[in-house]
Amino acid sequence: MDLGSLGGDLMGIVPLGDIVLYLTPLHLFMFIAVLTFTFLIAISRTETQVEASFGDLKDNELKVGLAEFKARRFLAIICGIATAGAMITGDLFNFILFVALTGVVNVGIVSAVKQIDVLDAAFQYGLIAMMASLPLFGGGAIILAATGTLSFFELAKFTSNSMVLFGSTLLLIGVAGETGIAPFFATKAEMFRTPGSPFILIIHLSSLFMIIRAIEILLVIIT
Amino acid sequence: MNLMAIIIINVLISFLFGSILLGFHRKIMARIQLRPGPPIIQYFLHSLKFFFKETAFPKTASMPFYLSIVCILCGIWIAAIIIGPVLKGSLLLLFAIYAVYKIVEHNAGSSSGSPYGKMSCVRAVFSASSELPLFAVIAIIYLQVGSMNISDIINYQSIHGPLILKLPLVAIVLFVLILSKSPYSPFGITKGKDIISGYETEHFGLMRGYIMLSDSISWYMLSWMFLTIFFGNLSVLSYVVGMLVIAFLTGLINATTPILNPNHSVMSQISMALIGLLGSLLLMFFVF
Repeated sequence: MDLGSLGGDLMGIVPLGDIVLYLTPLHLFMFIAVLTFTFLIAISRTETQVEASFGDLKDNELKVGLAEFKARRFLAIICGIATAGAMITGDLFNFILFVALTGVVNVGIVSAVKQIDVLDAAFQYGLIAMMASLPLFGGGAIILAATGTLSFFELAKFTSNSMVLFGSTLLLIGVAGETGIAPFFATKAEMFRTPGSPFILIIHLSSLFMIIRAIEILLVIIT
Repeated sequence: MNLMAIIIINVLISFLFGSILLGFHRKIMARIQLRPGPPIIQYFLHSLKFFFKETAFPKTASMPFYLSIVCILCGIWIAAIIIGPVLKGSLLLLFAIYAVYKIVEHNAGSSSGSPYGKMSCVRAVFSASSELPLFAVIAIIYLQVGSMNISDIINYQSIHGPLILKLPLVAIVLFVLILSKSPYSPFGITKGKDIISGYETEHFGLMRGYIMLSDSISWYMLSWMFLTIFFGNLSVLSYVVGMLVIAFLTGLINATTPILNPNHSVMSQISMALIGLLGSLLLMFFVF
């Protein structure tokens, strides 16, 4: 298959041994979008979440403390950089590692808060992400065993067979679990109830962009 | 013609015609509900009005995200016009733009500090998990056509006929996606009236103007994308008629359907996406 038929015409390649990075308008757009959001996260202050308090007429203000702010901002920037890396990588193993890293960091971003419901949701998402790492890495291993390579440039030339389809299905399940899309989304949405808007944004952004890249990669592998 | 001039003309057309389409959509809903409804140009006038209103910022907002997210919203839909009608680029790139739109919807709600915005932000995460699988059915188009480039999809249809006849389930799924983005949609959980105006609740004046401008462009863009993918290269008149039909159908559905609760909305959309995906694969391999 022609790699340019997916994300637009090839803009250039960076050959690093077996791993060949390549850029299309799709990769470039997602890479720049992620870095823009990461930059905004780095310079933004957090919002004050105002809620009605029960039993009286007062407002309840939820703020992010300084220590919590620093820890979450650091993890959010790491998540942004990992997502940006996943957008331009030309190697399946790199992509899988970036997906696993964003899964771990996403739990970390909300684990610093002190709201029981949010922590409970993060714990449940963490369980799903942990379980999803088995089909994620297993899918990659099966694709490697069936094709002998993990480079997208080489995989694009390979004719698909039943083992590759099986590996791709496992990979899809793994990415769906790590990113928390339906049917794994339920607990993840509850994590977003915490204040700290810039930090929870990167959780959502990394998930959506990983799914788009995963769809592109799966089409490269199976067609 | 100069590329920049083509881009500016396309953006202007998309804003003007998009806002007229949204006005027409509102008119259809009103007539079905036996109300006279506002004039068709009301949405356009509203959009212009907000550009001259005083802009206020909540003191609880997360700056500069609160401001920049509106600029990003406007920017991505202008980028969509460049990739779609102007350059006829990759459909996957439009998918990425749609994902950024979901991010903007999410962050515009949460960055204000308003509880209504926050609720909309949580719902945006719910809706994104089902709307992205809906959009993901474009993978079927790739399997059929062999390319994600819109120009290749148009060429394919000029030889093999409209894709709507080969991939009817994919067309239905993408129509559901457009329906989700229409005003007062049964799937419009992020802007449900139970949470005031959702993520737009705390955006006033100039910022609301930019949001409305972006909404007009996005509605035009989604309608254009649907017509181009499933009917090929149409004449200007066919595009106008097609977009009016889409606005009419979505208005009809929205006027007669209550808004679903978030769980039902997500489960309905994900079920349609799965049926569309698996059904299309079966049709491709066993019927056509």
